[in-house]
Amino acid sequence: MAFRKKFTPKRKFCRFCADKNMPLDYKRADILRDYITERGKIIARRITGTCAKHQRSLTTEIKRARQMALLFYTTVHSTDVKKKTI
Amino acid sequence: MLNNYETLLLLSPELAEENRKEIVSNLTGIIERDGGIMAPIDDWGIRTLAYPVRKVTRGHYVRLVFQAPGAFVAELERNIRITDGIFKFVTVRLDEAPKAADEAPKAADEAPKAVDEAPKAADEAPKTEEA
Repeated sequence: MAFRKKFTPKRKFCRFCADKNMPLDYKRADILRDYITERGKIIARRITGTCAKHQRSLTTEIKRARQMALLFYTTVHSTDVKKKTI
Repeated sequence: MLNNYETLLLLSPELAEENRKEIVSNLTGIIERDGGIMAPIDDWGIRTLAYPVRKVTRGHYVRLVFQAPGAFVAELERNIRITDGIFKFVTVRLDEAPKAADEAPKAADEAPKAVDEAPKAADEAPKTEEA
């Protein structure tokens, strides 16, 4: 029957494994921004498909970027929100 | 034994050009005095911060890449803490030797440069950030 045919979503893959030259670095906040939510939370690897090894270093790099004000910890404190409230 | 390190400094945007150079040259002087090897200084210029630091929303980033013995990092960080005008810093150990011309990271605020080079390409491939 038709309902037996399940929709198979596109298989997730680790972007850092697929492209070895892709830098996983706290300085590249533009890449790290793909792995955090709009509110700044780190997205689980269950959802992004990142492998365990790269997720571990990704977490460290995101935290370093937050430390250096390249990424925000949470939107409440972000520059965009602060500017609007002034 | 020498390790590879990089230190990213976040300096006050209100610092004058010569004060900033003095701070950086002071730190490089300390690195070289203690037997470290400096790579060229990577100056990112003034950028908008993700969140305000000391009530300022902009900051000047400077990256120092150097080779030094492990015990020296504590000494460098002690000096950074003493120096006025440095808001934040982070020291990271690098795996590979510092390259002479390490590519500067492209941030969202540096986008206009890319637009000038290829205005047509930007139309064909719209960025998800703007959507």
